[in-house]
Amino acid sequence: MQQYSDTFLDNASAALADKDKAEVRDAMALFTPLVRNAAMDQFQHFEELRQHVKQVRQHSLDNLGHYLESYEQQAVRNGNQVHFATTGDELNSIVLDICQQHSARRIAKGKSMITEETGLNAFLERANLDVMETDLGEYIIQEAGETPSHIVGPALHKSAAEIRQLFLDRHDLGERELETTEDLVSEARQVLREHFLNAQVGIIGANALIAENGYSMLVTNEGNGDLCANLPPVLIICTSVDRILPRAEDATAMLRLLVRSATGQAQTCYTSFYSGPRREQDIDGPMETHIVLLDNRRSDILASDYREMLQCIRCGACLNHCPIFASVGGHAYGWVYPGPMGSVLTPLLTSLEQSQALPNACTSCGRCAEVCPADIPLPDLLRDLRHAEVEEKIAAPRWRQGLKIHAWLARQPRLYQLLTGMGIALLYLLGRKRGSFSKLPLASGWTSQRDFPSPQGRTFMQQYKAEHKHRE
Amino acid sequence: MSDSARASIFARIRYSGSGASAAEIAAAREALGRAPAANLPGSDLCSSFLANVLLNRGTVDVVGNRSEAVTAVGKYIYQHYRTHRLVAGNDPRLAAMPWRDAGVLPRFGELEAGEPVALSYARLGVAETGAVVTFTGKANPAANNLLPENHIVVIDVADLVPDMEMAWSRIAHAMTTEQRPRGINFIAGPSSTGDIEGKLVYGAHGPRHWHVILLGEVPQAALGEAQAIAAPAATTGELD
Repeated sequence: MQQYSDTFLDNASAALADKDKAEVRDAMALFTPLVRNAAMDQFQHFEELRQHVKQVRQHSLDNLGHYLESYEQQAVRNGNQVHFATTGDELNSIVLDICQQHSARRIAKGKSMITEETGLNAFLERANLDVMETDLGEYIIQEAGETPSHIVGPALHKSAAEIRQLFLDRHDLGERELETTEDLVSEARQVLREHFLNAQVGIIGANALIAENGYSMLVTNEGNGDLCANLPPVLIICTSVDRILPRAEDATAMLRLLVRSATGQAQTCYTSFYSGPRREQDIDGPMETHIVLLDNRRSDILASDYREMLQCIRCGACLNHCPIFASVGGHAYGWVYPGPMGSVLTPLLTSLEQSQALPNACTSCGRCAEVCPADIPLPDLLRDLRHAEVEEKIAAPRWRQGLKIHAWLARQPRLYQLLTGMGIALLYLLGRKRGSFSKLPLASGWTSQRDFPSPQGRTFMQQYKAEHKHRE
Repeated sequence: MSDSARASIFARIRYSGSGASAAEIAAAREALGRAPAANLPGSDLCSSFLANVLLNRGTVDVVGNRSEAVTAVGKYIYQHYRTHRLVAGNDPRLAAMPWRDAGVLPRFGELEAGEPVALSYARLGVAETGAVVTFTGKANPAANNLLPENHIVVIDVADLVPDMEMAWSRIAHAMTTEQRPRGINFIAGPSSTGDIEGKLVYGAHGPRHWHVILLGEVPQAALGEAQAIAAPAATTGELD
């Protein structure tokens, strides 16, 4: 997918200026944590389960070579053809080759963030293939020519009214009302059903790959991914090497956290495990199945200090709980993965230079780490990335200079206390009357949005010392 | 391309691996134990399973024997579609049902366009989630789960298990005597979507209605208990 993370600040300002969209985001930001929290309260074993799942994920990553090999053996035994792709371009070429070998024209696609990452749709369309997204959210944004704003609900940034207009414009179905959400869903069902039945290749993702038996797990509510997996004569599963889990029960243990974290359900309507192509005695299913495993720098992350990021199960809870995501929306982040998980992943999967603003799009409030079902210390990883920006001289020179001065000053406690004491006293004198400042030199980033409260006259250290003396 | 990609990916992954032997890795995984499951909402497997099916927006029937099951199916499809016809997979258990007793006319095979109702005989039911489990194959072609307007599922009380770990243990056991199924489907509700403004709508692609018939010795109070558990449940939203 085309990246535009380097204009994050402009993207964010534009998003904030669109009041209608901001309202849609506010509604989602209120609603999504509620359903997740209700589900976790009812479940009662959140912490115990998350520690278990985290340990299993870490164990899988520690022994990824072993489990990946075991998965590959089992998958081949089940009749699959397994492919490896170092980069997104390689994945795209492998998929196109398979489609061309079968002279396929029509592709039915289930939701897959990996193929968003590699820009598969655009690649296949350039080769004149007719690719149709079948997850309702993905279908809507495909028709609108947009990209996902959320990893679980890709079209949640659009209002029902916009979707109605989109369908009226795009579907040649004559006069009709399309008044309710049900009408919209029915129309998409009708349009997509035809596509499912005529597609020559189905492409889906996987939520987990099971090393012990070579099955892949697919989690959906619509059942669209299952239609892609069962109806077309060729099935291609595109996923990444870090999705491996040792046992089937590890996948369902993860599922308990994944679904509650994502949608507040105990289980999605469809949780399916696919082993491979149809067997001799089968009467349905694809004749041929391919599994394409993407690395795209995940093996580098595995060898780095950011390894914990690979524990991510893609539930979207950190997005739903992030005040920055709620304010600016997913598109501002400028790539496939938004919110806190995206602000860590994007620099690691693309480059820190291109996505420099993302690790800074954080208030360090810690809500993401609190709700993360994989117990990833997201605020710590974001801080480490900010540190790396300074170390690698990616952060702006003025900012680095400021930090350098601050670091030096913080190591001279007497001087630091003297200067901050003077500064605070000065601000107190200047702001005493109004109680706040609407403009401050060097702090326009703060004062352009809100007033800066005037200090109360003395620094913490001055008060602490006075209190200490008083007690003695 | 793929061969060299495979070699380089494995080399890089192994470089950061633990270097442990297969036996050590197996022991380490064993030491992690098993995950906690959700608490069962009811006092037994039947009431918990039924309650969760209801919470998943399914409807339920409880029957004591196969004759009653056939009657329940007949009544249900007549009420909804004014028909006696349905499609069922080539499951010997379905073929052996006394369909004539209730005047039901099943066609055995894969669902075709325009046929609104399919019937499946589940392999397992999971009390923890209120899901039924089917295997793809002659006995239950995938289209029968995914394409009808209305999906009816019969499940034996004896095939209820408390949680997903037990479900997998039963599935693994089945695989020792039969081939690995191509697809294993856990179904927990009619097809749904929340992709438009987070509003939950049924019948996204597959069934709009999902009806589960629990067959066998069900404790008398189970259905009432399940209904009481499911009744006050707050509406939850779904996104995907």
